[in-house]
Amino acid sequence: MRHFVNLCLLLLLSFPLLLTAQNPSKVTIKGVVRDSTNAEAGYATVMLLNTKDSTLVNFTTTNDKGVFSFSAVRNMPYLLKISHISYIPHQEMLQPSATEVNDLGVIIMKPISQALMEVVIKAAKAPLRIRGDTIEYDATTFKVPPGSTVEDLLRRLPGIDVDAEGNISTQGKDVKRVYVDGKTFFGDDPKSVTKNLDAEAISKVQVFDEKSEQTKLTGVDDGTKEKAMNLGLKEEYKKGSFGKATVAGGTSERWALRGNYNRFNEKNQLSFIGYGNNINQAGVNWEDYGEFKGQNTFNDYDNGDFGFGGGGRGYYVFMDGGMGMGSDRRGYSKSYGAGVNYNFDNKKTKYNASYFYNQTSQDLDQYTNKSTFLTEGSVLNNDTVNQSNFYGNHSIGTRFEHDIDSNNKIIAKVNVKFSNSNNTNYQVQRFTTGELAPINNLISDNSTDLGSWSLGTAAIYRHRFLKAGRSFALSAGYNTSHNSTADSLLSINQFFTATTFTEQIRQLKDRATDATEIKSSALYTEPITKKWYWETFYNFSLSGNEANRQVKSLPEENRIDSVSVYSDNSTLYNRLGSSIRYSNNGFNAMAGIALQQLKLNGSYLQDEDMPFLDSVPDIKRTYKNWVPNISINYQLPNNMYLSLDYSYNVDEPSVSDLAPVPNSSNRNFLVLGNPDLKPARSHSVSFSYNYWNPASFANIGLFSTASLSEDRIVYNQWIKTVQGVGLQTITKPDNISDGKDLSVGLWSNVPIIKTKFSVGVDGSFNIGESASFVNDIRNDNKNTGVDFGLNFDITPSTKFILDLRGSLGFNKMSYSIQKDQDQNIQNHGVYASLKWQFINKTFLETSYNYTVYINDRWNFDRRIPIWNASVRRIIGEKNRFEARLAAFDIFNKRVSITQTATSNYVLQSIAPTLARYFMLSISYNLRGYETKLGKNRMMF
Amino acid sequence: MINNRITSIRNTGLHFKAGLALTLLMVMTAVNIFAQKPEGYIRYLRTGNWAKQMAAVDYLSKQQRDRMMYMWGNRSEYKSFANMWFSLSGSKYEDSEEKADRDDEGYNWRKEEYTIMRNFETQTIHEVQYILGKTYIIDDSLHYPNWKILNDMKEVAGHICMNAFYEDTLKMQKIIAWYALDLPVSTGPERLGGLPGVILEIDINDGAMVIAADKVELKPLTTELDLPKKVKGRKINEAQYYGILKKHFDERREAEEPPFWSIRY
Repeated sequence: MRHFVNLCLLLLLSFPLLLTAQNPSKVTIKGVVRDSTNAEAGYATVMLLNTKDSTLVNFTTTNDKGVFSFSAVRNMPYLLKISHISYIPHQEMLQPSATEVNDLGVIIMKPISQALMEVVIKAAKAPLRIRGDTIEYDATTFKVPPGSTVEDLLRRLPGIDVDAEGNISTQGKDVKRVYVDGKTFFGDDPKSVTKNLDAEAISKVQVFDEKSEQTKLTGVDDGTKEKAMNLGLKEEYKKGSFGKATVAGGTSERWALRGNYNRFNEKNQLSFIGYGNNINQAGVNWEDYGEFKGQNTFNDYDNGDFGFGGGGRGYYVFMDGGMGMGSDRRGYSKSYGAGVNYNFDNKKTKYNASYFYNQTSQDLDQYTNKSTFLTEGSVLNNDTVNQSNFYGNHSIGTRFEHDIDSNNKIIAKVNVKFSNSNNTNYQVQRFTTGELAPINNLISDNSTDLGSWSLGTAAIYRHRFLKAGRSFALSAGYNTSHNSTADSLLSINQFFTATTFTEQIRQLKDRATDATEIKSSALYTEPITKKWYWETFYNFSLSGNEANRQVKSLPEENRIDSVSVYSDNSTLYNRLGSSIRYSNNGFNAMAGIALQQLKLNGSYLQDEDMPFLDSVPDIKRTYKNWVPNISINYQLPNNMYLSLDYSYNVDEPSVSDLAPVPNSSNRNFLVLGNPDLKPARSHSVSFSYNYWNPASFANIGLFSTASLSEDRIVYNQWIKTVQGVGLQTITKPDNISDGKDLSVGLWSNVPIIKTKFSVGVDGSFNIGESASFVNDIRNDNKNTGVDFGLNFDITPSTKFILDLRGSLGFNKMSYSIQKDQDQNIQNHGVYASLKWQFINKTFLETSYNYTVYINDRWNFDRRIPIWNASVRRIIGEKNRFEARLAAFDIFNKRVSITQTATSNYVLQSIAPTLARYFMLSISYNLRGYETKLGKNRMMF
Repeated sequence: MINNRITSIRNTGLHFKAGLALTLLMVMTAVNIFAQKPEGYIRYLRTGNWAKQMAAVDYLSKQQRDRMMYMWGNRSEYKSFANMWFSLSGSKYEDSEEKADRDDEGYNWRKEEYTIMRNFETQTIHEVQYILGKTYIIDDSLHYPNWKILNDMKEVAGHICMNAFYEDTLKMQKIIAWYALDLPVSTGPERLGGLPGVILEIDINDGAMVIAADKVELKPLTTELDLPKKVKGRKINEAQYYGILKKHFDERREAEEPPFWSIRY
């Protein structure tokens, strides 16, 4: 027994040794690779893979005799894999070898059919997927006409034969069975599948050997194999939908509704949006806009105005797609909007169509104090206005972009907009002298109805020549807009210094404007060398503006000839220019010059089809100017960027500034045109420097712009008290030779503790000098402004985000005619915002904004604290619901304030607006809400 | 994943008769495919899609990534060329100055250093890379990713390739490489190599970046594999290189900002 134990122990101890003796630690694995005709397969790739995860352990190639050998590799199980360009890859498992040389002998490889090689791999560029004996390929690369059945598709596939009856065979054997996504379909008859299933639905076709029914039933392999086929259905992996809906109600009868829904797949995007509210949200925000427009979000900016400085003249039609972004937040408004957008994109062709309707009705009260400086003393105007406004717009837009081939592209777009608006305006203006002695009261009660439509079209064609860098582009556009307005005017003028105390004016005014523009541009670019390019461009536009204004006095309905006029103006613009561009390793510079010609024509009639106005001659003006332009961009090493631009600008006077007929029937504010007006001309220079450190994410930027006017258009005023009119202001544009503007600024953001705490500063300084005449005395005015801002971003964790900002703004206006009227205007603000995820899925968000408006000269000092706070919680297993309780303007202090100082007046206006309310909202998000705050504030 | 890459494959307008296909079903004999030495020049076309690159950054919010794909998915491609020279003794890969996207013609960004050289005789790698504002010179012995060998076959630039897979967990990249069966040089574009043949195509994150050979010229090389002219830079090894990347990716993750604005994808 003891011996036996000893023996056992010995055996046990020596077991590993015995193993080692049987299986050496290092082994040589060798073999010969041949094909089924016994030909040697030279230059095949032979790999040893890890059996667990197929990772590559070692590899070699066979020599020209098909022989391979791995010497001194670890002796462990391997997956041996041999691949060759002509054969189906061969795989076999290798167990650890008992001997030092593991000779695998002859390995036979099966050839890949030449048809697969030539047709699938070479011609269709489709990958073959090999699974043991199965070869599958991507059926989508074999195009069949829409509506084709699978049978039609199979007829195209190499190696598959379909006879007249629809029977399928491959490699001389009948296909007995057809599976769809691995499942039997419509019973056993393969034809029932192939004749009924749409080829469009198929992504892949697999052909493989299947054990016979006999084998399946008995479990005994009888050796016979049948051909079977599997059709893989397309996985529309990019298909999806998303949407959101919100219902909210609050105190003071506040309510809001909004919802959007999007469906999309690889090529199509369809979206719907709708909203309604009485909380002064008159449009959609940027995020909604992006989700509505999808892949077409950034296509409103197709530029067909070639050449430097934008050869563009005339107007762009509704850049925001008529979706009311950036609307007026004064007063109280109720808004509705709805739209649908469709995008198609298959890389070669992009198509977009959208429709959007929005309307807003606004009630606005506004109180304004305005002080206008005269050569001696000043006039104060205390103005109270009550407005009720409505506007509604239908916008329809469509855009088409098509790559004809790699060298030719066309873009075409059409936008149409229909609008109507009406407005009633009740206004009381009280004019006094600077010493508060009353002059007159002007009470007006006006209403306006406007209907308009506009059409904007553009087409751009681009051609690239075979020579790299040589290209040609051509654009054309037609824009037209039509407005008709009916105004009803009532004004009562009460005089305090005259013998007649009251004058009442009642008028009806019909206005119609028809504007059309045809434009076209061409651009040719020629590379001179690899670094130098030469560009030539031509811009043309012809715009016409017909305006008719017919004024009748009420109740007699007599035409008032002095202010009724029909004008027909046209502007012809031609610009031919050329520039040289240098581009090399981060340095890009352009210098060019263009000759531009402007021809203005205007004629003035009493009414359409009526005689010319005797007193007013036709206007014919031609302005010819050389306009130079320089632009330099330099990317220095270490992420520094410099840019410098110079341009010379010539802007022709507007038609109304030239019109020799007063364009106002209000005798207190007469606006006269000046037919002798010259175009405004100015030199402008801008410079910027930016640096960012990609490792620390610190950045800094400096910028400066300066402009020097040669002929600035200014509005001279004559202000006097006129018997029977009261205080009369006559405004007339004229050119003035001087005028300067300069602004410099900087911004910087520096992380103090990476990812947790960063500090940003910004500051700017600007100075402007201009002049105009007041009662024929030159008034030089100078405007100096300094702004400074500081902000801290504090994100200690993803559950707590704090944002602190402060800003200071000082503005000084000085006037040469009256030194004592110099104004110091200040606008300061402090802002703090906190986002805190205090319990799982529950968030507190609050912000505080304190704004100060000061004007010492008028003892104006308003300080407005606005505090908003809300708590929201995400509900539901899929986080699809959100409940939010929000308090807006908790201190009930919100008003809208404007402070303005111009060349000869200063004003402060205050408009009451939506103040404190509380609101509860419930939202639903199809894709679920994020259950964390997210530090990243990037907007895409 | 591979079958999903169907959109990029052009329809060649193929009209193939099944009968003809059968007559062509014949056995191919192994031709001597190495009539020429595996030595020459490859031009790679790099096609990036930054919306897809961002969509693979797992720590950005799902909403943000979905939104970006919805607004930008089809129009965020950029293209450039890269050159590679290779032989049995080594390879050199660098960005090309040739413009791949003809819309880029006429504007030049500053060229950032990026050269990857492998020496198979000394089994070393020599790189010059501009990373986060600094130029680095990386010298180390050759290391390769742990490739998982897959089983698909396709043609890239006239060469039959098979594929392999590797997941770079640091850069959050799922990489599919197609290597040529008839060019037995263990190299490839960017920092990828280590397969039995030259990698002719790389697909990262299902189209976020595709680097595919569009020109392969087999020809004897002369001085193409010589060391480039000396560039000033900090000398580091591969471990230090990964350290720099890791620090950057960790910081960006912490800040919840996309990492690829400031670093080569």
